[in-house]
Parts: sequence; C-alpha cells; structure tokens
Amino acid sequence: MSMIEFKDVEKYYGDFHALHDINLEVEAGETVVLLGPSGSGKSTLIRTVNGLESIEGGQLIVNNQDLADPKTDLNRLRKDVGMVFQHFNLYENKTILENIMLAPRLVLHRDEDENKKIAMGLLDRVGLADQANKYPAQLSGGQQQRIAIARSLAMKPKALLFDEPTSALDPEMVNGVLKIMREIAQDSSMTMLVVTHEMGFAKQVADRVIFMADGKILEDSPTAEFFENPKEPRARHFLSQIVH
Amino acid sequence: MQDFLQAYSWINMRFLLTGLWVTIEVSVISIIFSFIIGSILGVIRYMKVKYLSAIVGFIIDMIRNLPLLLIIFFTYFALPRIGVHFNVTVSTIVAMTIFESAMLAEIVRSGIKAVPKGQLEGALSNGLNFYQALWHILLPQAYKKMIPPIVSQFVSLIKDTSLATIIMLPEVTFRAQTIYAQKPMEIIPMFLMLAILYFILNFTISQIGSYIDRRMVS
Repeated sequence: MSMIEFKDVEKYYGDFHALHDINLEVEAGETVVLLGPSGSGKSTLIRTVNGLESIEGGQLIVNNQDLADPKTDLNRLRKDVGMVFQHFNLYENKTILENIMLAPRLVLHRDEDENKKIAMGLLDRVGLADQANKYPAQLSGGQQQRIAIARSLAMKPKALLFDEPTSALDPEMVNGVLKIMREIAQDSSMTMLVVTHEMGFAKQVADRVIFMADGKILEDSPTAEFFENPKEPRARHFLSQIVH
Repeated sequence: MQDFLQAYSWINMRFLLTGLWVTIEVSVISIIFSFIIGSILGVIRYMKVKYLSAIVGFIIDMIRNLPLLLIIFFTYFALPRIGVHFNVTVSTIVAMTIFESAMLAEIVRSGIKAVPKGQLEGALSNGLNFYQALWHILLPQAYKKMIPPIVSQFVSLIKDTSLATIIMLPEVTFRAQTIYAQKPMEIIPMFLMLAILYFILNFTISQIGSYIDRRMVS
C-alpha cells in the first residue's frame, strides 16, 4: 500500500517552476532519501507532503487523503504525518516536556498521566530525560533536534518527514541525531522521507534514493544501485562532489 | 515662597488628587477595553480573513491617522446628534478605547508577525490547528515581545487623558487649571505638581511593565 503518492505534481512560486512533473510513490514502512544540490526542490517537495506548501497541478495522495482537494482536512492528515525541521522549531515558550505533551493533549486528548508517561519514555529514548524541565533555548542544537524527533513520535505518526535534520548542527552533534533516525527507520511500520546530505546515513538506512535537480526527479533507484552505478550524469557529478 | 507653598494647601491637594483618581479610572478602564479589542482586531488583521481583515485594516488605518482630540469631539459632540448620549467620563473612555484599540491592534499584529515562521509550521506539523497554535504558541511569544511597545502605548494613553480637559472631564489637569484660573500666582506650583503626579503614575506603569517582562523571561 502506498503511503505517499505524487502523480504529475506541479508547483510554482510565481513564475518560478519549483516542482516539475513529479511522480513518486513511497510505500508504507519504506525509508526514502531525497538527494540533490541546493535549490533542486527537495525541501519544497517534502513540504508539500504535509500541506505546508500547496500544489498547483497533479495529484498528491498521502495516507489516502487527496492534498489537491481543498476540502481535505490538513489537521487530520498532520496527526499521522509528523515533520522534523532543519531549525527544530521547538516551542520557545514551553518546557521540553510540554513541547512533547502539548499536541497529544490538545489533538489526541490523551489522558494526562499516560501522556506524561509516554513523553518521559520518549525523552529517555532520545537520552534527554534529565532536561525535561528546561526550555529549548537552554539546549544545544543536537539536543533540540532530538527533542523535536521525540515530539513528532509522541503523536504516534504513520509517516515522518525529515527536512535536512542535521544541516544546522555542529558536526559533533550530527551522530546523536542520525542514531535516533536509524532506530526509527528500523521500525518496519514507519514510513520515512528524508532530505539530507548525510551520504553515510543514506547508504545505510535508505531503501531507495531519489535524486532531484531543477525541480525534477532525475533518478529513483534502490540505494545500492544509486551509489554504485548512478544512471544520470548529474547524479554522478553530484556524488563525485561529495567527499564521503 | 509663601505663595508657592500655599498652592499645595490641603484643599488644593485633595481637589487635585480627586482629579488624579478620575485620570486613573478613565485610563484603567480604557486600557482594559482597548487591550481586549485591540488584541482581537490585531489577530483578525494578522489572519488575512477574506474581506473581514481588509475592512478591519482600513478602519484601523483610518483611526490611527486621526487626532485623538477629533475622536473625543466625535463621541461627545457628534454622537448625541444621532441620539447616543454619553456623559463626559463615558465619552472619554469610548474615545480613548476606539483610538487605543487601533494603536494596539497594530502592535499585536506586528508582534505576531515577529514570531519566527517556524513556530507556526512546527505547531501545524505537530497536529495543532491554527487557533490552537495561535493561542498556545504564537500569542504567548508575541505578547512577550510586545511588552515594551504596549507599555509605552499605555503611558501615552494616560498622558492623553489630559486632552479630555477640553470637554471638561474633571481629571487632574482640568482641576489644576481650575485652581490657577482663580489664582494665577499658583500656575507654576500647579504645573510642577502635575508633572510630579504624571511622572509617578507613568513611572509606576513602566516599572510594572519591566517587572512583567523580567518575570516572563525567567
């Protein structure tokens, strides 16, 4: 069953053609990594999946809901599709624990004791249980990103979108975040769509790699095949530029 | 010197302080109403609701560009012509509330706009609807940033209540005028006392503002 399906999707910013005839299917439980040079449309593509960006043409079905249909309830969709951002976007006015507990309380009406138990469990899982009562600004970038992942997981989503989750981090913080993402990917029921420049992570975790340039998908290959023998010259060029 | 001190006789001071109380009363009521109404209008303008936000925006811009005095004249002299009669105090409160709501609406709107876009995107992606995001995430962060401009707006409001002397609201400036109108010798001591009273009042408001600001940071 496909979790995310793009059919001939088009996206414009004014005159700028940001996404060009996108066709892509992501099965439930699959981990797909999006690669490509900056400005290629990776972030725009991933942001259309939970409706942060609208589409101007084609069809986009996520968790059986049609995003091109203006009647689609985006809030219902977003309960099942979490997102982790480059700049974390933790609630600055809430403590770490409240960051994780807020949406389950307001949206899922989860029982308060259970909510706290789940939140503390997640904090434990990302190794930050001792930071529960601090505010986001008191934590390092890497810690904030781990909290952001915990916050998404608290909603028990079916799919998680990662938009360059390690790009804003100091190098020594990257591994802690990737480790958690690897663990999530091992959960066979979680669908993951990841925009990243971490080639090691892509090689190790992705089922498939999508290569984008100029708003188009140029290559869609199984991971091993993409790294060993990329079909597209632009993909070959891109890989040759990256020292890994 | 004798004359100077005589100006601060018990009778004069009681007369002045009663006026100060009127100033405080009119200010506090106007502050409460304009804070509520200004917040609602600011949010509506921020939300870009079709037609409604444009209409609200037009009204806000119009009011902001009128002199407060004109609005006071309007509520006191013009409204009775169409059958709405307010006494002096209510006229002043209504005029101040109309004017300050428009001022605050702009502060609130720009305050919400100043919250980084990622906060809203984070909340929406987390499953919150727009109103939940507004109430729990955007507004608390916006108000925190808005404390200094809101406080200075309230200080202007308090000073501007003196404009109501013109419709003879018996507030503190009007009463000072009443005193020196009878004894021109007392003009300087009265102005001095007025300055002290306004300073104490407004300085207190700014200190309360800074206190709230500090409390919200920690």
